[in-house]
Amino acid sequence: MSIAGPEKNSEFLAEFLDDYFAESEEHLAGARRGLLALEHFVHQSNIDRASLDGLFRSFHSLKGISGMVGVRAAERLAHQMESYLRALRDWQATLSPEGMDALIAGAGLLEKIISEHRAHAPITDPSQLMARLDAIISEARNNRPVDNSTTGSVSTEPDPLRTSLQALAIGDGKNVWRFDFVPKPELSARGINVNYIRAGLQQVGELMHAAPRVTPEGGIAFEFLVSTSEEITSFPDLFDDGVTYARQVLLPAGGAATVDVDVAAAPVEPMTASYQALSSRASNMVRVDLARLDELMRMVGDLVISRSRLDERVKHLEAALPAPEWRPLQETSLAMERQLRDLREGVMRVRMVPIGEIFERMQFVVRDLAREYEKQVKLELSGHQTEIDKFLVERLMDPILHLVRNAVSHGIEAPNERTALGKPREGTIALRASAAAETIVIEMEDDGRGVDAEQVIARACAMGIGIRGRGAGAGARGSGVGAESISGPREYEKLTEAKIEKAENIDSAELLELICAPGFSTRAEADRASGRGVGMNVVSNTIRGLGGTLELKTEAGKGTLFRIQLPLTLAIADALIVQAGHHRFAVPQASVREVIQIDASEIKILENNDVIVYRGAALPLLRLTRLFGLPEDQREYFHAFIVGSGLNTVGIAVDRILGQREIVVRVINDPLIQVAGVAGATELGDGRAVLILDAAALARPAEGRRIAAHNNGLPRPSNKSVESRTDA
Amino acid sequence: MLEEQNGSKTFIIFELAGTTYAVRSRLVQQMEMIEEITPVPNAPASVEGVVFSRGRVIPALNLRVRFGFERIPIDLRTRLIVIEVGERNVGLIVDSAREFISIEASAIQPPNEAISGLSGKYIEGIATVDNRIVLILDLSEVINLAEILIGDQPAHTGAQPAKQG
Repeated sequence: MSIAGPEKNSEFLAEFLDDYFAESEEHLAGARRGLLALEHFVHQSNIDRASLDGLFRSFHSLKGISGMVGVRAAERLAHQMESYLRALRDWQATLSPEGMDALIAGAGLLEKIISEHRAHAPITDPSQLMARLDAIISEARNNRPVDNSTTGSVSTEPDPLRTSLQALAIGDGKNVWRFDFVPKPELSARGINVNYIRAGLQQVGELMHAAPRVTPEGGIAFEFLVSTSEEITSFPDLFDDGVTYARQVLLPAGGAATVDVDVAAAPVEPMTASYQALSSRASNMVRVDLARLDELMRMVGDLVISRSRLDERVKHLEAALPAPEWRPLQETSLAMERQLRDLREGVMRVRMVPIGEIFERMQFVVRDLAREYEKQVKLELSGHQTEIDKFLVERLMDPILHLVRNAVSHGIEAPNERTALGKPREGTIALRASAAAETIVIEMEDDGRGVDAEQVIARACAMGIGIRGRGAGAGARGSGVGAESISGPREYEKLTEAKIEKAENIDSAELLELICAPGFSTRAEADRASGRGVGMNVVSNTIRGLGGTLELKTEAGKGTLFRIQLPLTLAIADALIVQAGHHRFAVPQASVREVIQIDASEIKILENNDVIVYRGAALPLLRLTRLFGLPEDQREYFHAFIVGSGLNTVGIAVDRILGQREIVVRVINDPLIQVAGVAGATELGDGRAVLILDAAALARPAEGRRIAAHNNGLPRPSNKSVESRTDA
Repeated sequence: MLEEQNGSKTFIIFELAGTTYAVRSRLVQQMEMIEEITPVPNAPASVEGVVFSRGRVIPALNLRVRFGFERIPIDLRTRLIVIEVGERNVGLIVDSAREFISIEASAIQPPNEAISGLSGKYIEGIATVDNRIVLILDLSEVINLAEILIGDQPAHTGAQPAKQG
């Protein structure tokens, strides 16, 4: 479809395009929910009318809006899906499993096509699926129980929604008017676009229906139905704005049928879509560009800093002035702090969306994969109302998808195997989300066979993947299977030894590290769903990139649990303020497990490594002063904060802990000051920049040592100390 | 306002190790006294640290070190000239700066190889203003990343981690 001269109307279309993507997302989400409900009706013909209507509306809207922006493939596909739904509803056809599959595949393909359009990528041809739908519809037509010979083709029926609304209003004694609006560049120049007209019509009466349609010339036009209780005969203002109108009447004999009288415009094409979503439902919703919210968040950040400056000044006054002078100031400052916190939460809440969106999609993934692998799996969802930052939702989709795929393909056993093991035939995957304090926890648990440590170790050895910290060399993570991440043949032997002697001793953090290693795969041959060898590595990198952590718990024969923990927001965080070598640093509290005090005499030196005994095990201690090449005093005691998990647990020693406070995270953009171990900078109210430590990077042995080596020219320490810890 | 009029351009001029330099005022965001600079571990030697400027974290580049002059302590005359080149904001630490001048395009000559010293390749042109010789800096060369990150390693660079295997 060409839309009335792409050049002339490009501005007009651009206005709609953003709305189109946002709206199609909503309709697709609605369609997915509808399809899940519909699945209970496979093999049945008396399908719940409400479910069908809901789905029908979703596809109908998708068809309409896709047509409007010229995404022809999506329009055609949605049309075909709508036809099938109509067949189910009007002919009471039996919903076949093939039909259900085609609907689900169609929803997936629609989503794909729309995102391809968004990315300006080549668009997938939906013909094959459409042919499938066509065959299914023909079958339904042949089997229909009652021949209601009114129409040969379903698609030429009048829009039922419009018809019934219209009948209702006219029956109510109201006047129904039909308005047609054809957007034109010269109108657009006067500020007259479809939104303007719609607003104007809402003044005239109740807007019942609004839909775009394609004119015979290939242009685009909008039709509106408005009911008024007043007797109005003309709308001169609207006429000036390029709107034509006509009164609608109800033919007494025609039942619900209505005809358009004295309408000069072309007959309405079958490709008419409900434009309802834009006109009525969205009335109290606002779509906001995420960038604008970021900007708002930044301004709140500025306010937080200004307030801490104010606080700082008040503290100075406390020493110099009598209490009655400074107390009101202090109270005001404290009140402002609370208000700012509320403001910050308010802005954050605007950015929050329920995680349910991701969870619901997993229903389809599980359904498809279970069929593909001939397994029986049910998905249990909880906490899908948990709200997370929109930014995180978009980035979490792939990691969660991958974990769920792995669970179905690797975790859950085949039904017969499960029966033999005394487990229920149907496996269970649970997806849970919850918010705790400043973090979001997402768990994916299956009751399958668990991660086979021996198999993982064997595969790792075969592929030459080592556990950092176990063998002689420690490699940088995520650097690919390069010289740094594989530590030479000597290392594999060590690993094999470890496997034979103490397979049970491999802790889950080490196991996770192996399966997250670049290139790791448990399958000799990659299959479609999982085991492509990039998966877990990408999962762990993505989560780390978001400032989160990934944990694994697994028990042979019982199941596997992955726990993702993420900070609630990225811009403002609670932090420990520490001091080392006369400099202050901020450490995000979310990454700190514990703070301890250490007597200098407790520190043992094992081959250049500082180690302390902590909870009955040896804990490597990194001194921030050495990592960063800062001046070091002779001290009798230190403070240390514990970061990392599993074998990456380290204590980072600082001179003292100064306190705890809320900080505004400023990212470091310039490469000149992007250094390992520093995540950003903040300001504590005195105008000075304070570096925010990237505790996770410091905890990674390779990086920590590299930072130190870079700075001090120290030889690379061996990791005997780490091993002694595992033995302890 | 005066910019680009009558063939003249406006510049900020500053002093560094006894030499007068000029930068296009169009590229200068602001000029401030230096209170404190937060050192960044493992940053290149010429990067003194980071400062906040208009809510952004920017590097403070010591121009003396960058041009190979001797480092001197920060005092009351020291200035931070915050420039914006492309997408980047960088603060330049200079000995002193205060003047805002307009130089006729015709008064600017290409650099003479014979008199370009340490800062040679960063010089865009040479002008004579009131009997003073002013070196006009090519700022994008001054803050050239590849050169600072690779060519100008920290003085205390230790052994690089040995590759294993």
